[in-house]
Amino acid sequence: MKLVPLALVALVALSATLAARASERAMPGVMNPRQAHQDYILKCQGCHRPDGSGDDRSNPPMRGVVARFLTVPGGRAFIGRVPGVATVDLDDERLADLVNWTLHSFDAEHLPRDFQPYSAAEIAALRRNPIRLDRVATRARLVEGFSSQEAKQAQQD
Amino acid sequence: MAGFDTFTERMARGVARGTSRRSLLAWLGAGMTGTAMLPALPVARAATHPDAARPEMKSGTPQDPGNPASCDYWRYCAIDGFLCSCCGGTVNSCPPGTEMSPITWIGTCTNPADGRAYIISYNDCCGVSSCGQCLCNRNEGDRPQVRPQSNNDYNWCLGTESSIYNCSVAAIVGTALDQPQ
Repeated sequence: MKLVPLALVALVALSATLAARASERAMPGVMNPRQAHQDYILKCQGCHRPDGSGDDRSNPPMRGVVARFLTVPGGRAFIGRVPGVATVDLDDERLADLVNWTLHSFDAEHLPRDFQPYSAAEIAALRRNPIRLDRVATRARLVEGFSSQEAKQAQQD
Repeated sequence: MAGFDTFTERMARGVARGTSRRSLLAWLGAGMTGTAMLPALPVARAATHPDAARPEMKSGTPQDPGNPASCDYWRYCAIDGFLCSCCGGTVNSCPPGTEMSPITWIGTCTNPADGRAYIISYNDCCGVSSCGQCLCNRNEGDRPQVRPQSNNDYNWCLGTESSIYNCSVAAIVGTALDQPQ
């Protein structure tokens, strides 16, 4: 009878491992989640915080927000052209991985159902034309569009 | 007043009679040489090297070798600032009365104990004026100011109540992958 709790523990451990693997696999467009997470720590986390939370005084939050840009016109390009993304010293493939990882990790609930992950080629094209001084105004304009776009979506549903 | 005039005149004439212009030059020359030589005299100047009198700090584990109160310590490879270990804090905690900035400069340093690269977060401690002890400026991986997110010359006291800089800590936030895959 002593074997039963042991087997239970083993089962729980196994399912936890599988769940962890599954969460890594469930990120379309992310070839190497460990590398992407490390690139996030090295290139983004210093300002955007370990959990992407940010605050309205220093860096705007990404957690629960970042994928909503994909729902408004111009938002998909904004994510690739915003200075922190466009000018980072990573090659296009690692950057595409990192952007897709960020969307999945910090705002999976707002990802559109038909979301196509960023490819290295798309990132390469977008980052060639980075946003500079008008980044704050551009962001504010896109964020204004969130609510109207979501109301439209709700009507369709 | 006449007495004062007479006194001044007598003194001036006395000096003029008793000294020569040549001796003035000799005195001036000796004085200048003496002033220049004074700092070279072999006397103890402990006050000019406060770091030499500082007791050594140890982590107590062979996995973390070196003295965190010294600029040579391995985690400080990309630091630019005063070491909190010399300011009443430690290698990863701020001195009392200061607030740690949530916005940080992040780099990697190689640990001599195992040769692996560790990801280090250099958080500034803010709210009290500059500590002024153990200035350390090593700057590995530092980029010019046109890349503000990778430049450590900025004041990183952002997101805190006060933007006044006191000192910097070096906290390990992870181990780096062996190489980009």
